[in-house]
Amino acid sequence: MRPLAIATAVLSFASAAVCVEKGNLTKPLTSKLILPSTFRPAQNFKNANLVHIINLEKSYPKESINVVIENVASTPQDEYFIPFTSQQMATIGGLEVKDRKNPESPLFEVEAFIIYLPLTGTNRCYSDTQFYRIHLPEPLAPKAQQTLGISFYYLSALNPLPATIAQADKQYLVYTLSAYCQSAYDTLKQKTEVKFPSTTVPEYTIVPGTKGSPESPQKQGSKFTYGSYGEVPAGAVEPVKVRYEFTKPLIHVSELERDIEVSHWGGNIAFEERYIMTNRAANLSKQFSRVEWASQTYYNPPSTAVKELRFPLRVGSLEPYFTDVIGNVSTSRFRSNRREANLEIKPRYPVFGGWNYPFRVGWNADLKKYLRKLSGGEGYVLNVPFLEGPKQPEGIEYEHIELRVILPEGAENVQYSTTVPLVSASTSLHRTFMDTTGRTALTLTAINIVDDLRDRELIVTYDYPLLAGFRKPLVIFVTILSLFAAAWGIGSLDVTIKNKRS
Amino acid sequence: MAETVADPFFKGNTGRNTRGILRLSILVLIAAAAIASRLFSVIRFESIIHEFDPWFNFRATKYLVSNGFYDFWDWFDDRTWHPLGRVTGGTLYPGLMVTSGAIYHALRALTIPVDIRNICVLLAPGFSGLTAFATYLFTNEMSTSPSAGLLAAAFMGIAPGYISRSVAGSYDNEAIAIFLLVFTFYLWIKAVKLGSAMWGALCALFYGYMVSAWGGYVFITNLIPLHVFVLVCMGRFSPRLYVSYCTWYALGTLASMQIPFVGFLPIRSSEHMSALGVFGLLQLVGFVEFVRSGVPSKQFGTLLRGFVLLVFGISFGGLVLLTVSGVIAPWTGRFYSLWDTGYAKIHIPIIASVSEHQPTAWPAYFFDLNLLIWLFPAGVYLCFQKLADEQVFVVVYSILASYFSGVMVRLMLTLTPIVCVAAALAVSSLLDTYLLLKSPEYPGDSATEAGSNGTPAPSKKAAKQDGLRSMRQPLVGIYTTFSKMSVVSALTSYLLIFVLHCTWVTSNAYSSPSVVLASRMPDGSQHIIDDYREAYQWLRQNTAEDAKIMSWWDYGYQIGGMADRPTLVDNNTWNNTHIATVGKAMSSREEVSYPIMRQHEVDYVLVVFGGLLGYSGDDINKFLWMVRIAEGIWPDEVKERDFFTDRGEYRVDEGATETMKNSLMYKMSYYNYCTLFPPGQCQDRVRGVKLPDVGPTLNTVEEAFTSENWIIRIFKVKDLDNAGRDLASAASFERGNKKKKTIKKRGPKVLRVE
Repeated sequence: MRPLAIATAVLSFASAAVCVEKGNLTKPLTSKLILPSTFRPAQNFKNANLVHIINLEKSYPKESINVVIENVASTPQDEYFIPFTSQQMATIGGLEVKDRKNPESPLFEVEAFIIYLPLTGTNRCYSDTQFYRIHLPEPLAPKAQQTLGISFYYLSALNPLPATIAQADKQYLVYTLSAYCQSAYDTLKQKTEVKFPSTTVPEYTIVPGTKGSPESPQKQGSKFTYGSYGEVPAGAVEPVKVRYEFTKPLIHVSELERDIEVSHWGGNIAFEERYIMTNRAANLSKQFSRVEWASQTYYNPPSTAVKELRFPLRVGSLEPYFTDVIGNVSTSRFRSNRREANLEIKPRYPVFGGWNYPFRVGWNADLKKYLRKLSGGEGYVLNVPFLEGPKQPEGIEYEHIELRVILPEGAENVQYSTTVPLVSASTSLHRTFMDTTGRTALTLTAINIVDDLRDRELIVTYDYPLLAGFRKPLVIFVTILSLFAAAWGIGSLDVTIKNKRS
Repeated sequence: MAETVADPFFKGNTGRNTRGILRLSILVLIAAAAIASRLFSVIRFESIIHEFDPWFNFRATKYLVSNGFYDFWDWFDDRTWHPLGRVTGGTLYPGLMVTSGAIYHALRALTIPVDIRNICVLLAPGFSGLTAFATYLFTNEMSTSPSAGLLAAAFMGIAPGYISRSVAGSYDNEAIAIFLLVFTFYLWIKAVKLGSAMWGALCALFYGYMVSAWGGYVFITNLIPLHVFVLVCMGRFSPRLYVSYCTWYALGTLASMQIPFVGFLPIRSSEHMSALGVFGLLQLVGFVEFVRSGVPSKQFGTLLRGFVLLVFGISFGGLVLLTVSGVIAPWTGRFYSLWDTGYAKIHIPIIASVSEHQPTAWPAYFFDLNLLIWLFPAGVYLCFQKLADEQVFVVVYSILASYFSGVMVRLMLTLTPIVCVAAALAVSSLLDTYLLLKSPEYPGDSATEAGSNGTPAPSKKAAKQDGLRSMRQPLVGIYTTFSKMSVVSALTSYLLIFVLHCTWVTSNAYSSPSVVLASRMPDGSQHIIDDYREAYQWLRQNTAEDAKIMSWWDYGYQIGGMADRPTLVDNNTWNNTHIATVGKAMSSREEVSYPIMRQHEVDYVLVVFGGLLGYSGDDINKFLWMVRIAEGIWPDEVKERDFFTDRGEYRVDEGATETMKNSLMYKMSYYNYCTLFPPGQCQDRVRGVKLPDVGPTLNTVEEAFTSENWIIRIFKVKDLDNAGRDLASAASFERGNKKKKTIKKRGPKVLRVE
């Protein structure tokens, strides 16, 4: 009766191995740990109750798992594992774990693991199943229960079907999920909820009912529910495919470089962001027709093209600019008053599926609103948003973010803290504007970020001695003085060839 | 005169220093004004490269900056003139790019993060400040008046004739060339005056720089020999002249031959022969002078006559022989058009199709030079009053430049410096006369001015007694304060009006980038029409890296610079046949055009269409030049007459000829255009005509992108049909037409391959 036996999909570690040389599925992440292939998480827990919520309202799937875990081992445990496939591992972003019962608690420590298969020779092959390890702040006593709220999302996981549509057509996206939440532990009770952006869901997998559970899904407006299901062993999957309407762009930023430049002398903080943006939506089946586009704009139907991007900047932002590789783009507006500072930019052309539009925006702000001097000593605290990209109703995903905080020349003892998951951080020197030693630049790299993390803060502390501030004026003064002296010295030399006596 | 507090600053040694500082600060202010008045477009629009040619220079500069000098020197550009390519490093004047590259690296060495684009945009204004300074130096050699140089510098700084080619963003060779031109002339005058080899060598050095920067160096190459020739004819041969000219010619020619594009032209092309001839002449004259000093005058006459005849015969015969045998290149077409303004239109349509090669209209002189143009003859006249060697130069320069400026609009540029100099001589002479002239001592009168000592009363009485009433006043004519005041104030107001005029012309006529168009919204705010960049950016981001773009040559450089895609033809119009091929593809039927486009691997065709917006510089208005140029190569296949109606009208509406309606250009311009309007109201706003409701159909290309205001339309060339049909029948099938039963009499036209 049931096409898929539950037990067939017990985690089989060697089933599919991914080699670095073959595919680029696993990006090397510095925060990843590599384990031997013999690794298996110990069955120390069981999931007493699990609700898996998949939110498809934006252009990326956002999943959250609320799970009540129970320690079934005899000793206190503090390591909980979540399995992912290597495909998922490459596109997963923003995995965060909280205590559901205590929303004030800090985020739990999370680490990614790669199962390393020591196969032939030099091939660095990875198992298809990889793990995140959650480190519970306090070990869970035997038989005790705790409620975890795990949230994450995948990038580039939604694909349009059909892949090419006409300019005014509606777009449908396909997403594959599992009716059983993937888990490294046995689950006693679970259900999966899928939230769609609209009620138009032309195709979805129907999971027949079994003992105790009715036929899934149950529909409730735009929310579909699979389950609830009874006990399911660890590693079981039940593939479900859904296809739903989403006539909005899938904005994908493959690279974002964000520079924040602090100037103590100027009392200014300058932001500049360089985007490489693509629309992942369905491509046009025919060529772009301006007539159709122009006639549409009057009644503004939903479209897969990116028409406008809105940047709600911090109040007090000044002098914004929007340029691309061939100059200023005149189709931008900046509304700034005491309550808001909205930068609304329009790409030069509507960005349809498969089209690219790299651009650059920047603005200035008063440094006083971002920087505070620590009382006593020469320390400063800088508080800036980690990400200030556009805020679109359909959401934006960032594959790679490189954030550079350029501190004044001579700043030292740089420390930072942020809740955004980072893959690397480094400090270097950045030479510009007649620097002698160069400015201290803090470079932070993050991958697979979405615009949900827009308002996360980045706090940087550093020491900036008073003397460092006077270095440049002094250097310039001395240079010009010596230039004058040299000119005077050379000018007073007598280099004529004629006889001195005459 | 009463002692004032300021007096110590204007007398003696301190006075000289004070005047020097004043002069320096005035010059700096003039340079600042020259730069500032060129920034209209940057303030109104943005820091952007203007028009067409500057885009190539900009692209070449970027190549130089990113790849280094030697790669630039050897640059073979396969992204232009597809499939021919262009040996760019050897076919350009590198001076401009190298200058901005050097500035870029200098600033980078000081770790000043400046974008290469901003250097390119601001290079021309920066050099205009230097030009003002060079004009100051040059004029000071002509006149002893302290004001002439400053006036000339001020004129040069703001004269629209020069601003037209040097506004911010106009990153063309002229940007630095005019400075080099004036400075070379200054060094030449200095060399002639002093007879110094050092100044001659410096002159040659800057001449070499000029050669590397602009094709207009030929003007110097001919003007200096002409100056020398005139001086020799006036009997002013001197060792000074001999030293300076020989130094300049020998070193300058060597320097100019270092530029690959110039190469051996200085000894082979006709344009350079006058310099060589004068060089030879100077040797002969020098020899004759030498002989004269050693031979009695009677025999000397006979000797001279025979010698002159012999040399003339040999050199003329040699010149004819070399020209016939082809060692010396014949005159180029552009050169002929300098003498006969109708030449280009008949023989080389591609030269005539460029608006800046048209003869100058009279109002252009007043527009570009305003009051300077009527001060100019006065200044030249003043040169005759004291006709030293350097004044002869001014006279020669004025005559030559006046003639050339009448032939080609763009040569107004070479006229402007000398007009500024001559006008400054005239104005300064007027000002000196009226401001500095001391009233003469009246006979028997001790002094005239108030506050002077003596007793004027009795002498006045004596004057009253004799003669005319007007003679009773001791000061008449120009000596009165009234005449001084009126002349000076009139002159001042003229100068102020001149400043107003220059500002107005610069702001209205010369400060439009032409890549970006500006219009006004109903509420008076500025609205930018940015269709060019919209389309270029689309091409750059959303087509294959090596997609070949076919467009008329005007847009070649812009596509290369902004869209970064290979083009078939561009503004470096070196291959007329290739341009004619594009012209043919545009002006022929689709069946003819398609094979041409396939053969050239064209992926996209770009046309400019102003019909919706009323933008008159579009391709339909340029279309006749495409037809003419194509007709020049294929007179049997493309005929200009076919594009005119029986009554000789050039029409695009219902009454257009069949050839016109079937031409690819017409079809692409009006494709789908009428669906934008309600039936019966389809209008072309440039030509002001109503169009037929049913637009043209396209079989071999499909619309790929049209910019917001329809100025740029990009079409994709279809691939061959999968089923092996020709594209016309495939498209007809797609539209659902029934296949016609009639048998075709002829196959599609085939491109004649030669």
